[in-house]
Amino acid sequence: MSIFKKHNTNADRSASDRRRHKEKIEKAIKEGIHDIVAEESIIGQSGKKKIKIPVRGIKEYQFVFGRNQGSKGVGSAQGQDIKKGQKIKDGQKQKAKGQGKKAGNEKGEEFYEVELTLDELAKYLFDDLNLPDLEKKSDASVLAEKIKRKGYRTKGIRARLSKKETLKNKIRRQKQAIKNKTWDPESGERFTFHEDDLKYKHIEIKHKPITNAVIFFIMDVSGSMGKQKKFLARSFFFLLYQFIRYRYEKIDIVFVAHTTEAKEVNEDDFFQRGSSGGTFISSGLDKSLEIINERYNPNSWNLYAFHGSDGENWAEDNEKAKTAMQKLIDICQLAGYIQIVPDGDKVYGKEMADVFQPLITDNFKVLKLGKKEDVWPQFSKLFGGKYDLK
Amino acid sequence: MTSNNNYSIDDLKKWDDKICKIAKDFGLDWYPINYEICDYYEMIGHMAYHGMPSHYNHWSYGKSFERTHFFYNSGQQGLPYELIINSDPSIAYLMLQNEFYLQVLIMAHCVGHSDFFKNNRCFKETDSKNVVSKMRNAKKRIQGYIENPLIGQDRVENFLDDLHAIRFQTQRYNIPRKTKSEILQSEIQRYNKLKDQGIELDYSKLEGTLLKPDHDILSFLLEYKSNWKTWQMDLIEIVRDESWYFMPQIKTKILNEGWASFWHYKILHELNLSEDYHVPFMKMHNAVVRPHIGGVNPYHLGFYIFQKLEREYGLEKCFEVRETHDDVAAIRLFLDEEDFRELNFFSHQKQKNGDVLISEVADHDDWKVVRSDLIKNTGINTIPQIYVDRIEKQGGLVLKHEHDGRDLEIQYAEHVVKHIKNLWQDEVKLYTILEDEIWEV
Repeated sequence: MSIFKKHNTNADRSASDRRRHKEKIEKAIKEGIHDIVAEESIIGQSGKKKIKIPVRGIKEYQFVFGRNQGSKGVGSAQGQDIKKGQKIKDGQKQKAKGQGKKAGNEKGEEFYEVELTLDELAKYLFDDLNLPDLEKKSDASVLAEKIKRKGYRTKGIRARLSKKETLKNKIRRQKQAIKNKTWDPESGERFTFHEDDLKYKHIEIKHKPITNAVIFFIMDVSGSMGKQKKFLARSFFFLLYQFIRYRYEKIDIVFVAHTTEAKEVNEDDFFQRGSSGGTFISSGLDKSLEIINERYNPNSWNLYAFHGSDGENWAEDNEKAKTAMQKLIDICQLAGYIQIVPDGDKVYGKEMADVFQPLITDNFKVLKLGKKEDVWPQFSKLFGGKYDLK
Repeated sequence: MTSNNNYSIDDLKKWDDKICKIAKDFGLDWYPINYEICDYYEMIGHMAYHGMPSHYNHWSYGKSFERTHFFYNSGQQGLPYELIINSDPSIAYLMLQNEFYLQVLIMAHCVGHSDFFKNNRCFKETDSKNVVSKMRNAKKRIQGYIENPLIGQDRVENFLDDLHAIRFQTQRYNIPRKTKSEILQSEIQRYNKLKDQGIELDYSKLEGTLLKPDHDILSFLLEYKSNWKTWQMDLIEIVRDESWYFMPQIKTKILNEGWASFWHYKILHELNLSEDYHVPFMKMHNAVVRPHIGGVNPYHLGFYIFQKLEREYGLEKCFEVRETHDDVAAIRLFLDEEDFRELNFFSHQKQKNGDVLISEVADHDDWKVVRSDLIKNTGINTIPQIYVDRIEKQGGLVLKHEHDGRDLEIQYAEHVVKHIKNLWQDEVKLYTILEDEIWEV
């Protein structure tokens, strides 16, 4: 005679192992992220766009068989006509489909390719970094409270039950069950709602400083700024934008492109259009100062200004550039000069990095980019991150 | 009646009594069964730990939970109706959500499993009396190591990562492994005999080296590496013993499921079920033992084998096979050309471009090829066999892969070798064959 027992515990036995697993995934994401920040595909995406990050390091490796000629599988086709040589799976169409894992007999599929939105990515990237001097503006400490609908949760109060999402989940599950033959629509068996189908609307109260910020992206677009340099600049500016956007409620961006003369331009022109001609670094800086004067009073705006160039300038402009930069530094929360010289290239004449060197203070940094792998470490350096270059 | 979930434990008991009586009359001999009734969430939790009521912690079990939970919730995978472990008493889990007729079927099925655990020769050494408490104690000890500030979570976890990578690279067969000192003794005896015949040999050559290739890498590490900390030796033994415990289940998946299905089918026929129960029961039974097109369903194949045995040799033979055979032996001995044709098994092969083609069908010329491929894909044969060939003078380890026509997945092998390096703390080389060339990892 057997014994029957109702299992009556709330203990969730795998909770701690799941937490540990999650920590591992997060760590893997953080480690993997730095490799992907300079990928062209994510540059210029909007915040809601999902990107996929392959997560390394949580696979469990064992000795398994590969798929050579000698390695064959066996299947049954009871009640079906089959022929030798018949194609049963099309290699082109067949994209890795998750198969149940068996004790180490076959190579497992890459299970974790985590999908993140750019916002989430920003969170992982930027949580360790800080904007310098956020309190400088006196009203910056005032927090705005904003109630926002934010996604769905599996737990919640009845009143917030989302019938639509719940039903969607059930239908989704039903479709899959039919596809996988775990439920037969002909059987007359009811396909019931499931606790995990339930979705509740979620609201979130957000506190954000009501301060506004503006970033000036200033770039030399003269003939010497080739495609690769622009890509590096774009990667870097993209990170800056995401980061500052992550910290502020409202953010303006001003693109200033210059050769010997400066112009305010839109984003496309900023990155795409090439010009020819010489370079006056000061022109871009002066233009920015002019715009600040007109539209962004330093007393109520947090100002950020970053200048990217290939380090070349016409010698007679150097002093002027230095003076203009000093003016910017005085009113900006953070300013930076990013010298983009692809590894192996040379700068003719005196490097601007050296010209600006004496101005370096807490809120002015000079950075150098040589290849895309430099983007993250340099960015991190700008905001005092813990990332060290190995 | 079919969608009635309102049953009490007393109802279950009532049917259990009937099932047990019928099973006893048939001569089944099983461990007492403790049924635990749980919800689907707890079921997934138990599955993550292979049904062991207590098991040591490791992140991989959290991963396993998430995986099952994800696939279950997205409808891609159902949960097994039954989960029963090889212990005395056997512990089986019944899901609360199951309909009543399904619970009855499961209980009859579990009796079959428990009988198999108790009687099949492969399970003789699994110590089913103590396995639950052994695992509980192992969990406690490992928890102790994690909390010990001199060891800590990271060390334990990393060490388990290394061990899990080779957890199945251990003793495969019931032939006991010769320990280091046993081998040494027999070698000395051999030397002595040769000496008596007047052949002088250098006895010092026998010291500190591997005299015979060792297929049980975990035991090998334990014996031949000298500077283990106590906690490390304990972990190696825990992981190895767990593999030994599960090995018989890997080897008898088809017969075990077949036997359980064979018996739930027989018992349920004897129960004289009313139409209300009988129809959904038969439907469920057919779903369980249906062939999986393109794959091998162990329930189906095992059920087929036992039905054939009963038809051709009688019930007595079935009992004999459940006692003495494993899957590979049963396939070899009891499935002939006609069966292969009936089951319509075929071999398939992945091509370079990713297409999968049928390479052989079970016709007169090729059915033996299909059978040998089936055997290669059965039980322990699904795990590549790697053995320690020798220890080099400088201390490096040389591993070899017993190549049987199937190449290793090289990228995986490289990672596993790294894990073995972590354990051996010295050079580790692995030799295998890749696309007909000798390959060193």
